[in-house]
Amino acid sequence: MISAHGRKKDFPIFRKKIDGKDIVYLDSTATTQKPKKVIDAIVAYYEGANANVHRSVYKLADEATELYEDSRANVANFIGSKQNEIVFTRNTTESLNLLSFTIGESLRKGDRILITSMEHHSNILPWMRLEERGVRLDYAGFDDEGHLNIEDLKSKLVKETKIVSITHQSNVLGTINPIEDIAKIVKENGSTFIVDAAQSVPHMPFRVREEYDFVAFSGHKMLGPMGIGVLYGKYDLLDSMPPFNRGGEMIKDVDFHKVIFEDPPVKFEAGTPNVEGAVGLSAAIDYLKEIGMDEVRRHEKRLTSMTLKGLDDLKSVKYYGPRDPDQRGGVIAFNVKDVSNVKRKLEGRNIKVDHFYHSHDIATFLDERNVYVRSGHHCAEPLMRTLGLSGTARASYYVYNGEEDVEAFIRSLGEIDVQR
Amino acid sequence: MYNDEVMDRYQNPVKYRRMENYNIKIDEASTTCGDKIILYVKTNGGKIEDMTWQGEGCILSMVSTDLFCENSVGRDIESVKGTDDLKFVESFPVKISPGRINCVLLPLRALRRGTKEK
Repeated sequence: MISAHGRKKDFPIFRKKIDGKDIVYLDSTATTQKPKKVIDAIVAYYEGANANVHRSVYKLADEATELYEDSRANVANFIGSKQNEIVFTRNTTESLNLLSFTIGESLRKGDRILITSMEHHSNILPWMRLEERGVRLDYAGFDDEGHLNIEDLKSKLVKETKIVSITHQSNVLGTINPIEDIAKIVKENGSTFIVDAAQSVPHMPFRVREEYDFVAFSGHKMLGPMGIGVLYGKYDLLDSMPPFNRGGEMIKDVDFHKVIFEDPPVKFEAGTPNVEGAVGLSAAIDYLKEIGMDEVRRHEKRLTSMTLKGLDDLKSVKYYGPRDPDQRGGVIAFNVKDVSNVKRKLEGRNIKVDHFYHSHDIATFLDERNVYVRSGHHCAEPLMRTLGLSGTARASYYVYNGEEDVEAFIRSLGEIDVQR
Repeated sequence: MYNDEVMDRYQNPVKYRRMENYNIKIDEASTTCGDKIILYVKTNGGKIEDMTWQGEGCILSMVSTDLFCENSVGRDIESVKGTDDLKFVESFPVKISPGRINCVLLPLRALRRGTKEK
């Protein structure tokens, strides 16, 4: 259970005061805070089991390897896959780059890749690089409320579309895309289907489905440490793909001019892996399982509803994404109208009717009240361009946030109006 | 950071206008945060006779640009360009957090970049 006040007690960082006051951390979409259990698991690994994995034959190395592989099994169990379908990477970005440099390499001139206009740069740039070889990158659009335009997606799904890679939940709009329906449509077309689950696996129940060929997500966005990410891939696909990085650990046999690679997933894990990260991620998964992902989702939905109601009362605030909390996650991008700038408004022919404060000013203003939100383009510039904005401020929630955080956020935003 | 002095200048900038008889016009954009300014500089024998600006961006960069234009009038352009970054930021009316230093430095960097020897 998560109480209305969140689970701050489990997270040592919330004992920290800045300027003598509690911190209101509303940037979990960027990265999450770590529970004591995760920190303890990492310390315990280094204090009690550290050795290089998959190499040596002594007992301590066996213990480290077992911990590493148990962590993999825990990840697999969490999303409903087989253990040998889980590749450890650095993060979602690396998972998607791995795909670009393996399956992407098999694409030819005239082939197409379909993504959406609401993708994070990490699900755009790995595909954009293939345009150099004559591959075309198509974008499915979204409507005014931030819902993915499924008809547009269908119309851009053609026989040349070899890869479709789509975010499950937008890191800006918060939109939860109907990923299961999209998966069916994509598979009817015979395209490879990739789910960017960086913002969904941490926040809602998630199970791998037959239609998903690959799923990418990050450990640090789900209470785990930084530097550990996951790529789920169907075993047969992983087996047929060339390796990404080459080096230690990922081989069965190396001759002077010949190499036999290991089987997946180790084939994709060249070099000493981030064992500490895998162990930490596994501890984070245990912590989330203890709460239950339904409960995580319920809690965030409640905070989101409360926030949207609060923002609706602030006349100068405009927020983006679906109005219905059922269709969005706990991430709210917003801007604040600058109604005070009389002189330039009169003078400026190119100043829009809704002139917003710059999102950095909003973030700094809130920072002065110990409320920490992100500002800028959130690594989603094509999305910002679609909205006609250079940036937004963004608040996001997780298991440690409570109603008092929402109240502090809304109250502080309200002070912008009063001050001006 | 947003005290009366800063907000008053943001709302009522004194050097916000297009200039017709400029010697130097500089377009500066910060691609990461969307700020855009145009600096108009009128010089006479290495001295800044007048400097005005137009643009859009965050409060800190707009206020810094307006102050920069006002304070540069009558000064030697090379000496203005040579202003130490840290001193420039310290001379801003309020204390700037590390994450916002680039906002304040926008006009100084614009002038340096726009008047570089070709």
